[in-house]
Amino acid sequence: MENTIKVERAILNLTQDDLAKKIGVSRQTINSIEANRYVPSTVLALKLSEVFKKPVNDFFKLVVTD
Amino acid sequence: MNVKKIIECEQNKFTKIINFRLSSKFMTVGIAIVTLSIVMMFVRAFALEGDTEWLKLLLQKVLLVGLLIMSISRDKEEDEMITTLRSQSYAIAFVIGVVYALVMPYVEFGVDSVVESNVSEFKNLGDFQVLLFMLMIQLLFFHNLKRYR
Repeated sequence: MENTIKVERAILNLTQDDLAKKIGVSRQTINSIEANRYVPSTVLALKLSEVFKKPVNDFFKLVVTD
Repeated sequence: MNVKKIIECEQNKFTKIINFRLSSKFMTVGIAIVTLSIVMMFVRAFALEGDTEWLKLLLQKVLLVGLLIMSISRDKEEDEMITTLRSQSYAIAFVIGVVYALVMPYVEFGVDSVVESNVSEFKNLGDFQVLLFMLMIQLLFFHNLKRYR
């Protein structure tokens, strides 16, 4: 799975730390999600969707290998 | 109370048990207990005289308690990723622990046979050795997974 969280974060002018605080996780977790090392739970994905004010599908995309 | 409520109640209790963690302050308590018990083990081995077998057994149990406290204490920034990493570390520790318990007695027997002239009898591992190994592997993997996340 790929994501464009880094882009969405840049649009809102948020640092990793700001976003982490908004959704109640650590900065390292945001870093891992952005680097595609960790796939977040549905709850976390929905929290991100709330922050970005966009549906989850807009910033999480399935790839061929999924 | 109907059946649905009983099932819900059981599920809630089960979830509470699964999610049970000590406060992050207990990590320091665990480290202190482990350090103290290791120091005491050295003192017992090199400074104390007489029959101190009971102390050895007691210190082994204290060491395991300390490691267990370290293992189940909450991280400073506990989130879902940390929970996932912890689960992974327990899974790895369990598998490696079982392999260790199965293989190590043969390794010890083999080494004993080579080193000593008269072959010693085959011995299974004690509970302390297996539990210590599993807890150490869990903590090692958890902290490494956290570092490389």
